[in-house]
Amino acid sequence: MSGSKNSPLAQILLAGLTLLALCACAKRDPARATDQVLRISQRNEPATLDPQLATLPDEFFIIRALKEGLLVPNPAGGAPLPGVAERWEVSSDALTWTFHLRANARWSTGTRVTAQHFVYSIHRALTPATAAPKAHLFFCLAHAEDFYRGNISDPSHIGASAPDPLRLVLHLAQPTPDLPALVASGPWIPVYLHVKLVDGKEEFIPGRDLGNGPFVVTEWHANQHITVSKNPDYHSADLIKVSQLRFQSYDNGDTEERAFRAGQLDVTLSVPFSKLGSYAPPKLQTQPLLETRYLALNTARPPLRDPRVRRALALAVDRRALVDKVMKGGQQLALSFVPPGLGGYESAGKLAGDQTEARQLLAEAGYPGGQGFPRLELSTWVNTPVLEAIQQMWKRELGIEVAIAQREGKIHLAAVKAGDFDLAFLPAIPDYASPAALLDEWLSSAPTNYARWRNADFDHLVQTASHETDAVRRLLLYQQAEALMLADLPLIPLYFNTQNFLLSPRVHGWQVDNLWNRFYQAVHLE
Amino acid sequence: MLRFVANRLLQAIPVMLIIITVSFFMLRLAPGGPFTAEKAVPPEILRNLEAHYGLDKPLPVQFITYLGKVVLHGDLGPSFKYSNRTVNEILADKLPVSLELGGLALVVALVLGLTFGILAALKRNTIFDYAFSTVGMVGICVPTFVMGPLLVLTFGIHFGWVNASGWYTWQDRVLPALTLGFVYSAYIMRLTRGGMLEVLTQDYIRTARAKGASETRIVLRHALRGGLLPVVSFLGPAIAGILTGSFVIETIFQIPGLGREFVNSAFNRDYTLVLGTVILYAGLLVLLNLVADVVQVWLNPKLKFE
Repeated sequence: MSGSKNSPLAQILLAGLTLLALCACAKRDPARATDQVLRISQRNEPATLDPQLATLPDEFFIIRALKEGLLVPNPAGGAPLPGVAERWEVSSDALTWTFHLRANARWSTGTRVTAQHFVYSIHRALTPATAAPKAHLFFCLAHAEDFYRGNISDPSHIGASAPDPLRLVLHLAQPTPDLPALVASGPWIPVYLHVKLVDGKEEFIPGRDLGNGPFVVTEWHANQHITVSKNPDYHSADLIKVSQLRFQSYDNGDTEERAFRAGQLDVTLSVPFSKLGSYAPPKLQTQPLLETRYLALNTARPPLRDPRVRRALALAVDRRALVDKVMKGGQQLALSFVPPGLGGYESAGKLAGDQTEARQLLAEAGYPGGQGFPRLELSTWVNTPVLEAIQQMWKRELGIEVAIAQREGKIHLAAVKAGDFDLAFLPAIPDYASPAALLDEWLSSAPTNYARWRNADFDHLVQTASHETDAVRRLLLYQQAEALMLADLPLIPLYFNTQNFLLSPRVHGWQVDNLWNRFYQAVHLE
Repeated sequence: MLRFVANRLLQAIPVMLIIITVSFFMLRLAPGGPFTAEKAVPPEILRNLEAHYGLDKPLPVQFITYLGKVVLHGDLGPSFKYSNRTVNEILADKLPVSLELGGLALVVALVLGLTFGILAALKRNTIFDYAFSTVGMVGICVPTFVMGPLLVLTFGIHFGWVNASGWYTWQDRVLPALTLGFVYSAYIMRLTRGGMLEVLTQDYIRTARAKGASETRIVLRHALRGGLLPVVSFLGPAIAGILTGSFVIETIFQIPGLGREFVNSAFNRDYTLVLGTVILYAGLLVLLNLVADVVQVWLNPKLKFE
């Protein structure tokens, strides 16, 4: 052990390296890039795969592989497409919708999917004990809200009935032109009647799951991976080309990107900001989203109570610089609140004006050159260079100072909800493909109206529009409502978000839409 | 000794009660709740959700109910986030993974730490000693979130010998165990070196040498027992740290262990899962400290159970 050249350090290092090299010789991963197994990154461990309890897009990525609703979202972004329902018609008073179910829709147990299953699922979503977070997506049905609030106790009064196994009839409280979009939304996906219920919730039994979709769950290792395999009983099973989807858990973009580079993953959810430059299409995919990132302004607090101040702040932001020089991820600048194309809607009035006007407005409001303007706080849950850029822009253009406060997600949201904020960075993600999904959130009574903005005309327009059966007139009403919003500016729209993700060259036919829906029908591997 | 152990276990009861109480109320006072989401849910839906999980009752009532279930039935309640799973199930599912990772890391830490610590002490003030000490300092200074990705880049991506992440085959264990074990091995090395140096100058070692004992026998039989004392007292909290502090490693390598579950449960305000994990970790810590104390007395005849 004396000081020979063959030192123990070198020996141990050599042994360690040999061990690592040995690893290379053995089989590496249960799912290698050989078979028709598509390996998809899953960011959040799903809290549930129960469509009536799930809330996150991450959960619906898996749920939509397992289950199919009456209608399904359209990959091209238009009106929803037939799912379990082959066709549907609406009565002349627009209050009764009849859905005709396809005869060959089956649960993975072989049982036929009937209209009664849908009725049951609707009752279940509206039963208070189920505690469905998206129960309000069913309130368009006659007596649904009364039942949910406990005013009536018999669910058979709810406007959903099954006169025969292949016919589902929905009775509405008021005309609801958005019904197809609502029916295609996640929480309307049915659950199987014969599933064991524990405390009003489905008991999940791996292996013999309860889907009516293209795949069934065959493996579930929490925080590791969920494997779904092709369901031979699915009505269009012959169209499905991959044999398995494997949803692999990755907590963040960095881990995900390393796994992608090591060939362990075919589809990622995101690309780390620092890695955007290292990838190019077709590996790098950019999908525009109907998702607005905005700043909510607390209109209950001075000086933001003054619309001139709000407008000055909104006009002083150089959105072009934000998306081109700061974000650099294909985001589109937002001069309206509702993203263009949401449910066929286009905003009529856009935010217009320049920095000079912004300075004038601020001076009119009593803060020339930013003098005497209080130091406001801009709160966020995510660390993004966008907010620092805005901080700089306001300082440069208006001479005002804001402090950025980054807080943990739930603390940020709780403060925003309680009205304990000045300016807050927030996302607006529609639950279904309609401008109503975003504009409804700004009604005076809406819990999501974080800015505490009250405008009776806006309320009236949005409520009238939701029952307007004439499509053209309806969009016009929404345009007028949004114009009021953009004139008063309880919020500052910043940009329409995109999803950047990595796609392995061996994957073909991967389809996503701009509302976080995925379509597994066309995908195949080479 | 039995008396000592029994005494310490009795002392652990109020400690655990205080930990549970403080954690329970701190958690509830934290802003936000399990149902705080980007879209605020309508008040009537929130009421139903809270009623469903018993959150509508007064806080002291909730606390007594919770404590009763934990103490009487060992029932840590249902998870707020994962609708079909109980905290007991989740902990039973994740603890073995963390134990395996921790155990492997501990082996790495002990093998590397003790070997190089002893070697450094025997060859003090030589080039070996300096080299080991330098590597040790680097091990202490480089955080795991730098070390882990570096190892992945080198052996997972560049050479392609192991997976970049995952927890499926035995190869998947190598990099995480090395990353986690390396930091602790550096501490152990320094403590071993210090302890050994102190012992090697003692009279009884000189006596052993004078009696003609071989160098190996002197080190392994006579010196090591005394030299390891500082390591043993370090190991109690260190093992707890290896088991509980593996969040970063588990995230880098996507290991389905308890550390990730713990941190995520705090972000999710999954009240029962946070408390369950705290209780488990606290229990482990109390137990491991007790074991460390017992081992120390066993190693050092000067100490007595009191």
